[in-house]
Amino acid sequence: MLTVLIRRELLDNLMTFRFAAAVLIMLLLVVANTFVLIKDYERRLEAYNTVLKTEHQRSRDMKTYSSGRYSVARPPNPLSIFNVGLDKRLGNESQISHGFVPTLWDTGTYKLTNPLLNLFTSIDIVFIFEVVLSLIALIFAYDAIAGERERGTLRLVVTHPVRRGQILLAKYISAMLCLLVPLLMSLLLAVILLTTSTAISLSIGDFLRIGGIILSSIVYLSVFYLIGMLISTVTRRTGTALMLAMFVWGFWVLVYPNAVLAAIAPPQSSQPRMVSAYEEIKQIWETFDRERKQFLANDAVPGEDPHLGMVGADPNFNQIWGSGYHYEYFHKDSSTLRYDYHAVSNIEELHEASKPQVPHAQDYYRFLGPQVVNTAERAWLVRKQALETIFVQPAIVDRLLLRGSPVGMYDAATQAWAGTDLRGLRDFFEAARRYRRTLIDYYYDKNAFGSQQWFSADKGAVDWDSLPQFSFQRSDIQINAARAFPDICLLLTINLVLFIGIFLVFQRSEV
Amino acid sequence: MWHIAKREIYDNLNSLRFALTTILLLGLMLINAIVHLQEHPVRMQKYHDAVTESLNRLRSRTNLYNIAQGGPGYLYKKPSSLHFCADGGEEFLADNIHGGFYAWATDGLAGFWQLDYMPATLNSKNIRPDTIKIDWGFVIGYVLSLIAILFTFDSISGEREHGTLRLTLANSIPRHTVLIGKFLGALVSISVPFTLAILMNLLVISTSSEVQLGPGAWSRLGIIFSVAILYLCLFLALGLLVSSRVRQSAASLVILLLMWVTFVVFMPSTVASIASGFSASMTYDQFDQRARQLVNELRGEYDTRLEGTREDAAKKMELAGEYVIKDVTERERLSQEYLTQQHAQIQLARSVTRISPVVLVQHLLEVFAGTGFERHQQFVENVQRYAREYRGFVSDMDRADPDSLHIIGTYEGMSKKPISPESIPTFEDTLSLSRDFNAAAIDLLLLMLFFVVFLSGAFLAFVRVEI
Repeated sequence: MLTVLIRRELLDNLMTFRFAAAVLIMLLLVVANTFVLIKDYERRLEAYNTVLKTEHQRSRDMKTYSSGRYSVARPPNPLSIFNVGLDKRLGNESQISHGFVPTLWDTGTYKLTNPLLNLFTSIDIVFIFEVVLSLIALIFAYDAIAGERERGTLRLVVTHPVRRGQILLAKYISAMLCLLVPLLMSLLLAVILLTTSTAISLSIGDFLRIGGIILSSIVYLSVFYLIGMLISTVTRRTGTALMLAMFVWGFWVLVYPNAVLAAIAPPQSSQPRMVSAYEEIKQIWETFDRERKQFLANDAVPGEDPHLGMVGADPNFNQIWGSGYHYEYFHKDSSTLRYDYHAVSNIEELHEASKPQVPHAQDYYRFLGPQVVNTAERAWLVRKQALETIFVQPAIVDRLLLRGSPVGMYDAATQAWAGTDLRGLRDFFEAARRYRRTLIDYYYDKNAFGSQQWFSADKGAVDWDSLPQFSFQRSDIQINAARAFPDICLLLTINLVLFIGIFLVFQRSEV
Repeated sequence: MWHIAKREIYDNLNSLRFALTTILLLGLMLINAIVHLQEHPVRMQKYHDAVTESLNRLRSRTNLYNIAQGGPGYLYKKPSSLHFCADGGEEFLADNIHGGFYAWATDGLAGFWQLDYMPATLNSKNIRPDTIKIDWGFVIGYVLSLIAILFTFDSISGEREHGTLRLTLANSIPRHTVLIGKFLGALVSISVPFTLAILMNLLVISTSSEVQLGPGAWSRLGIIFSVAILYLCLFLALGLLVSSRVRQSAASLVILLLMWVTFVVFMPSTVASIASGFSASMTYDQFDQRARQLVNELRGEYDTRLEGTREDAAKKMELAGEYVIKDVTERERLSQEYLTQQHAQIQLARSVTRISPVVLVQHLLEVFAGTGFERHQQFVENVQRYAREYRGFVSDMDRADPDSLHIIGTYEGMSKKPISPESIPTFEDTLSLSRDFNAAAIDLLLLMLFFVVFLSGAFLAFVRVEI
């Protein structure tokens, strides 16, 4: 009996105008936007490759250990075509040096050709689904019950020995089958377009992630179909059902996701927390600076050579030490709680007069290097917690609020699959921090802090090739799945609740 | 006709959609007002602080050479008091232009200031989710048009389905009267909640003492309101057109909704992205390279000419002055060219997207609210005018001093009389309504054209249709 019902419903649905229109519009929108998105991705990839190249060239100029300041770049995520998330907005260049623990808040952004192009919002594939799929689902659903009731055909069906649950199930299954056609077709086209682009190489993992996105889309689609069906069961007339469905759509898709943050979350001010954390970090570095000066006062041979250790104090530095550059500074930024010390000297050739001072300088740097590393680590512990409470927690609350609409859940789930959510992007900065550890281990390994090569290239430039290269792998598919899991579960639960609700209402309703 | 309109209005006022519309519009407009009240004072404070700081720095200079070399410093864009009408993507547009950038300084000479058009620094530290701003542009462009569709999709086809249309036409009423009556009915029944929402919004905003709306602002608001009504009419006409062409009201709604989604939600950004691919501006690297090359070339030219002069101090100074001025003009010309190319790319994309009515209404709202891209261009022009004035001031002051050698560009060649800080011209960012009208004319015309086309389409369709 169920199959008969499904067949009837399928034929009813497939031959309709709305089905043809839905397929057409989905294909049109997805194809047009995929073209744009691929172009955009290619541009970003090109910018990334340029950065890699210039970075490689720059590393040739770093002749001493202390000038080793790598800048690691974040590659654009090919799955950002599906859901861009934070991939485009967050900074994509991170500085690595032993004296500073990099975070998301200290990144630069490589130059765009025309920054004004940001005026035009980019539309990703998931956004199209969010808007159009939900609309199509409601258009399919609003008259599922109410329409049949109006026409009187429902009464006919019920006279047959079928259970009401079966009727609902048949309607649900057949409509979902129909709705899958535009969804799968457009996704298939998008994937085909992706594979034709030479710039994009998708791994097997990426295809599985796309599978995850499709799964989330289906669950999302089903939520809206069931919402429409519930409205259709509750209302007597199709006109009312339609009106209600459209307003529900407008509210959940258009209004809620954009208005809720403005309406509920006021701009938080965490100024006191910020100030206290900054003070604490500042204290740590000031203690460091005192110790450094103490060391200089004890160790330097006063009067003999004013340049030993007193780096940067003399304006004629370059003339005395030979060619090269040298600087030291404190980087301070209270808005991101950044406070750290850098001393770089990249001297190609030592002046004869300063050669006797080399052992003193070696002593000083042997002391300074590990001191900087440890202080940076201590400051990081404070900073990490403060950043977490000041920036990350409000962002998480915002995302929780957005989950008040199925659109928010769907968006979160697909971002998690694509790896463009906050956690996915923080993976990169985690990798950058790990790379900093690699760099420090490398320094210890080479005994760099106490070596002459730390500050001068007299005995030849540092061979950076033996330093392991930075590489960033996006997280494993299991991790993506685990991150997407809660939202998919939430969507599934809503599905179940809605279905039970419809069942209960339909059981009791008069035909 | 009034009879039909009245009947429509009564029908609508009692309906579910009217109630939902009212709630939706009131809620959105309330959010808009509250957000504006929170954000605007902060924005204004920031602007005033920045301007004061910049002015103080400018006035601390008393020496004419320093004034001529250092430049006016940061020049800020004045935030619009009608920011709540249209956000205009302000965060992607720079809020200042730096009039103080100079590239080099060597043996006694220093490059003069030039206008440096820095792009807006995107807040790459912001990890909060992206949302569309709830401004009037959103409420009118998206919500109001959707509501217009929901009110009209069944106004002809629904009556035809019910058979009441036949009854109406059986009385001796001409068809166009029926159509106009329906149109007016729908217009009034949407305008009422919309006007209510807008009045409430303005009431909330004007109660606050921190956010003041001048008479200029109120006339702009009046224009914006008329634009909104025109836009509403456009979608009503479209709804009537589709509704009279299509037999079933369900099909009519499907068509209208899919059209709406395509034109309103997707068309603006998709078409803009495609169109911006047709014209390309030079890349930042190219610009940077050309700038370096330019500086080196001019320097080389200067050096060779300097060798030609034999220890003639006066001649040397003249050459130096010439070089400094040429250097700054050429550099400024280059960055101007870069900026023009960028703007041209955006301008092209914006023109092409005019095929979508929502873009038209957004352009109009931005223009009259004094935000967005048009306003930004106006700001750039204001700054350029000021830069000319500033340079004029320097040469006037120099000319007025008989002791000066009148060689601008070198310290020795210029007047050494102290300058009173008050006499230095200051930058005032202004907005002119007449210029805005010029910028808006084409959008306004296109919007009207759309409306006329749709309305006459609806008329033709309805006159010829069989009942």
